[in-house]
Amino acid sequence: MSIVNLKDIVKTYPNVTALDHVSMKIEKGEIHALLGENGAGKSTLMKVLYGMTRPDSGEIEINGTLVEIQNPMQAINIGIGMVHQHFMLAEAMNVVENIIVGSEPKKNGRVDYYQAKQEIEKMIQKFGFSVSPDALVEDLTVGEKQQVEILKTLYRSAEILILDEPTAVLSPQEVERFFEVLKRMKSDGKSCIIITHKLYEVFQIADRITVMRDGVVTGQVEPENMIKTSVNQLANYMVGKTTAITNHAQERKVYGDICFEVEELSCKNENKVILDDISLCIRKGEILGIAGVEGNGQSELVKALTGLLKPNSMILKLDGKTVKGTTKDFIKQGIGHIPEDRLKYAVAENMSIAENLVLGYQDSEEYCKKGIMKLKKIKSMSAGRIEKYRIKAPDFKTLINQLSGGNQQKVVVARVFEETSKVLICSQLTRGVDISTSEFFYSLLRAFGESGGATLLVSSDLEEIFTLSDTIAVMYKGKIAGLRKKEDFTREEVGILMTGGRLDTGKEDHCG
Amino acid sequence: MSDVLNMIQSILFSAFRMGVPLAFAALGGIYSSRAGIVAMGLEGMMLTGAFSATYVTYLTNNPWFGLLGGMIAGMLLAMFEGILIVRYKLNQVIGGVGINLLALGGTNLLMQMVWDNRGKSPLVPTIGKVNIPGLGSVSVLLILLIVLAIASWFLIYKTAWGLRLRVIGENPQAARSLGIKTNQIQYTAMAVCGMLSGLAGSYMCIDQLDFFSRNVTAGRGYIAMSIDILGRYHPLGILAGGVLFGAADASQVALQRFNISGQLLKMIPYLVTLLVIVFAVKHVKAPASLGKNMNEE
Repeated sequence: MSIVNLKDIVKTYPNVTALDHVSMKIEKGEIHALLGENGAGKSTLMKVLYGMTRPDSGEIEINGTLVEIQNPMQAINIGIGMVHQHFMLAEAMNVVENIIVGSEPKKNGRVDYYQAKQEIEKMIQKFGFSVSPDALVEDLTVGEKQQVEILKTLYRSAEILILDEPTAVLSPQEVERFFEVLKRMKSDGKSCIIITHKLYEVFQIADRITVMRDGVVTGQVEPENMIKTSVNQLANYMVGKTTAITNHAQERKVYGDICFEVEELSCKNENKVILDDISLCIRKGEILGIAGVEGNGQSELVKALTGLLKPNSMILKLDGKTVKGTTKDFIKQGIGHIPEDRLKYAVAENMSIAENLVLGYQDSEEYCKKGIMKLKKIKSMSAGRIEKYRIKAPDFKTLINQLSGGNQQKVVVARVFEETSKVLICSQLTRGVDISTSEFFYSLLRAFGESGGATLLVSSDLEEIFTLSDTIAVMYKGKIAGLRKKEDFTREEVGILMTGGRLDTGKEDHCG
Repeated sequence: MSDVLNMIQSILFSAFRMGVPLAFAALGGIYSSRAGIVAMGLEGMMLTGAFSATYVTYLTNNPWFGLLGGMIAGMLLAMFEGILIVRYKLNQVIGGVGINLLALGGTNLLMQMVWDNRGKSPLVPTIGKVNIPGLGSVSVLLILLIVLAIASWFLIYKTAWGLRLRVIGENPQAARSLGIKTNQIQYTAMAVCGMLSGLAGSYMCIDQLDFFSRNVTAGRGYIAMSIDILGRYHPLGILAGGVLFGAADASQVALQRFNISGQLLKMIPYLVTLLVIVFAVKHVKAPASLGKNMNEE
């Protein structure tokens, strides 16, 4: 008997069928991977199981008994716990408070913090966590915050754990530790469902795999077939056509001259050092990848290099000429920017695709004559780019907020790639973007390099860094902890540097 | 010399008196802020409480009934604001300012209707004083304030309800994902906030004064908001903040004996508010989700 049996679940939203008669079984004590692209319906399915969304029809059986799960509270009472992708924590409060809230042990009308702490310490021991119960959540690393989320479910005696993209934000070492915790939970008889789109790690950890695409289950891999299944097979289930995952390893070209150079970049915020004397350079045609756990200064680095933030000191040279001034001056000199948060920095949500395509370049001669926009030109340009960049939209008048995240990003990418000639500063390029679009972006980035452009690529996805970069720099606490040619770095070494460790050999100076 | 000493003493005494309504309202503001709702409507709740307390006292001749009336009126107005914000997702600042304007216009109108006077109400009986050795006769409500502040500290920091309230102020989605009924707690917090603000307004009219006058609160609700910040949204912190702002309020009265323009003196409390907001706010962390409305899943 399966511990969870989802039968024929249907969920429709206006215009979309999110789940189309989906059935799925989870056995006790297994790690079950739920694989699929963004929008495939995997999160919706799990929200149904967790009571956050009511299905239109379908049944849920837990341990063979039919149950109705109307809200998360009922799910918790049945023994289901969920670890959300975006952590749901009160940052200013401590670990114990975050874990017990809603299920507090009480004594004489007050919360019994002492007993709660003891209980939590026991769980930390048992499952091999490293977090301290008294720490404030805002002082924790991403990995530790995730531990708090898992502890929240275990504290409520969850037997079935749903983990939404648990490894998306972790460094390789943190992933290792997380897998260790998963294995301990499994041997303790807990059943874990991991929602993911990372093909490789599925093989590393899962006992059973269910693949979804467009609201239906497209493939299932039983434990006995795990060895026989290939990554490409899973990718086909996910994407729906035979798209072999291309091997991006290519022979290295020789780069050109130094194109983009930054020296002595330091930045302080209220006496806290955010960026500490950073020097980097990028040659023509080179892609420099910046790896690092988020929050180690990457955002500020990007902002400083695009003129959005005025650092305490910085010497920035483009083709030997000093770049100074406001964001507008940076753009004019040929520095393009794909920001990490597109809704905040890249697009105006309530404006059309056409308007957004000229944003930042609106007073270039191309689109503007004596202060008056050349609307005809903009229209024809927009129509062309919608086609070229495969933006899924009825026409160029469509508002940005009517587009999916992936298509919004295509608008940003279209604008920046078309208008930028020399340097591209690009952060979290493929966040919230599906595999095929990511592949498309990758090919654009490579073409940009081949045409002599210099690229700075910031990503929290280590795979992306290794796929695209020629050179990799690792940031830790506002410093460049290491910088080497990609061939000279292993993922493990990068991971060590990302988490504050040291390597025996120092960094090389590839601009020297 | 003795003149100065006398003045300082009188400022200190009136600091306590003037500080009481500010501290009551600020205490209410803590509940609202900790539930993630900006306590913008304190001013309106105080004014409504002040009017209702005076009116009920006027009708019954019993200030204790008046006090009750003031608290209920403040609570009802706060619940109304709560519904606008929690249920209908109204922008919190706009909601609060709307409540304040409604209270100002409403009390002006009602004054005209009830007493046929646009300036002030007839005199009403007031709540008695108690004699405390060393302090002399003090208002019963001062004692009540201290008791309620300590009770609030216990409630917010020691009980399960308080823990839930604080989590809602930091991250309501987190609270909701654990099955906590966030709406229910937010409404309760608003109700308590309204009662305490109503109490604050009542104190002004049936303790400190013995009548209601047009716009009697004169922006004290906003001052209470800055006391919340200064007191770090902590029930005991706001007691100290109340005394400080009370002193600012009292000094303008005390300084009137010198030949300084009255208009300038009246600015003092507001000037102090401004300075606090400019210089203290940097170092105080407000509840993280303060001012943000929760989106439905």
